[in-house]
Amino acid sequence: MSIAVRQITKKFGSFTALNSVDLDIPRGRLVALLGPSGSGKTTLLRIIAGLENADAGSVEFDGQDVADRTVRERRVGFVFQHYALFRHMTVFENVAFGLRVRSRKSRPPSAEIRRRVGELLDLIQLGTQAGRYPSQLSGGQRQRVALARALAVEPSVLLLDEPFGALDAKVRMELRRWLRQLHDDVGVTSVFVTHDQDEALEVADRVAVMNRGRIEQVGSPDEVYHRPATSFVYNFLGNVNLFHGRVDDGLARVHSEPTGDIVFVRPHALEITRQPLGANYFRATIKHINAAGPFVKVEAKTEWGSAIHVEMPQERFRAMGLLKGEEVFVTPRDAAVFSDDRHAVSA
Amino acid sequence: MVNALPGAATPAISESRAVRWVLIGTSVVFLTVFLLAPLALIFATALAHGVLPYLRSFTNPDTLSAIRLTLLAAVIAVPANLVFGVSAAWAIGKFEFFGKSLLISLIDLPFSVSPVVAGLTYVLLFGAQGVFGPWLSSHGVQIIFAVPGIVLATIFVTFPFIARELLPLMAAQGNDEEEAALTLGAGGWQTFLRVTLPNVKWALLYGVILCNARAMGEFGAVSVVSGHIRGLTDTMPLQIEVLYNDYQFVPAFAVASLLALLALATLVVKSIVEWRAGQLHGEAA
Repeated sequence: MSIAVRQITKKFGSFTALNSVDLDIPRGRLVALLGPSGSGKTTLLRIIAGLENADAGSVEFDGQDVADRTVRERRVGFVFQHYALFRHMTVFENVAFGLRVRSRKSRPPSAEIRRRVGELLDLIQLGTQAGRYPSQLSGGQRQRVALARALAVEPSVLLLDEPFGALDAKVRMELRRWLRQLHDDVGVTSVFVTHDQDEALEVADRVAVMNRGRIEQVGSPDEVYHRPATSFVYNFLGNVNLFHGRVDDGLARVHSEPTGDIVFVRPHALEITRQPLGANYFRATIKHINAAGPFVKVEAKTEWGSAIHVEMPQERFRAMGLLKGEEVFVTPRDAAVFSDDRHAVSA
Repeated sequence: MVNALPGAATPAISESRAVRWVLIGTSVVFLTVFLLAPLALIFATALAHGVLPYLRSFTNPDTLSAIRLTLLAAVIAVPANLVFGVSAAWAIGKFEFFGKSLLISLIDLPFSVSPVVAGLTYVLLFGAQGVFGPWLSSHGVQIIFAVPGIVLATIFVTFPFIARELLPLMAAQGNDEEEAALTLGAGGWQTFLRVTLPNVKWALLYGVILCNARAMGEFGAVSVVSGHIRGLTDTMPLQIEVLYNDYQFVPAFAVASLLALLALATLVVKSIVEWRAGQLHGEAA
């Protein structure tokens, strides 16, 4: 099923959670709503589900306005941030719930319910845990039960609110890939909310970057990362160094004084050398070196006193033999300049 | 715990042990003097002339009528407060609305108001000289010095019990599970019966037990609105007073022993409920 969000506005008191938001979610896609907390992403998800009412605008499922459909009529599968499993029911009963509450004539016979729940439990690799209670499961297992419970009713769309937010890094990584795989197998239109850019870029087909109740940009992970439409998107997707600067002859130049324009440079696009390189460079003093991980992270202080972050390959770092306290030259290799700095967050 | 530590025999520990015994001893003495001794006295006096006179006390038609009236008041007050308590706790725990904190304070009112004052308000409202009195009597309805007044007073003094038990629990549990049930296609009533109610059942049962104990034992408010018409508007606590004032000690203490037994039964059920709820909670931890 495809979903269209049209001019949705939602206020909580004087706070505008969503400000005329438009979004198209094509059939069968996995879309991420990415943004910092308070950007309205969860509110948008809840409005799509029917758990919240919009003040203005409409939501369409397959071109049909669903304003008059209640939550239960919308047939959405919703996975809550803190799982919201029924604590007094076993894993099996949790997953079976959506089938058991159906009206007598649409309810499958109990043998059929058992079969379908069994299949889903196998799918989430918890077939042997059917009789346990949610409190006896780990966070990752609970999250999978929540997913199976939502899938049991064969929803026309799957909505996930920060599905991995409450899990530790390793489990999160595994579940991410698992969710991607699951989506490819089941093929249900899915929307998930996250504040983690890596998660959004890795899992989603399309990413909608949200900020202050608006969508800043919608595109493939590649598009939003490499061709950010606004300074906010650039800043939010990955680490970034901010400089005052200006475009001269098609080249972004860094200045030490405010110029009105902001130059954004990713840490890996700053090159450290011992000799000045070309005409576009500045001096910096190395303050800290972190050599753990695939890239060496260098923290330095520019000649005008602001902190910058540089990432360089291990081989280059070793070849150069950089030392803490050393004075070096820094050249931006690639930069983005936004004359409109409304959204710029100071580094 | 302290005994498990190495060096349990050090002076510091033995000193704290002495403190412990003083504290335990104080509690035991206090409980004996103020609770156990009176309780024993009730049964001793009731059975002073043997079992037969004790049992004969319950053949008195006025006493039987008092027992019936007490049961009637409880049978009406407890379900009424069950409905009220669940709705109030649901509303307060799960929604935001204007006047919410006022409602919470009002629920506590019967705890802070003297029952006698509560009874008097009903007299001032529904009594012959009261605000609604003339209108009620012209329509042939009598509330004060009749069964309806007793039921009303009982409901008033017992209404915080169930709501108070449910409130913190429902507020802590939030709406997530109910919302999940809705997205899975459950209706409002199904959600209530299958999700909300099972989640609060132990607190609910606990509240009902306390509410019932208080409903049967209430004296002050009921005393004001009852009018003490023997065989008609006397509840068990009132009947005890009447018998005692008539120097009928064995029957008075016999009825009192029934209330005491009710209290003991309540304690037992309450402990079972607490143990059961604690066990479930322990599983959850």
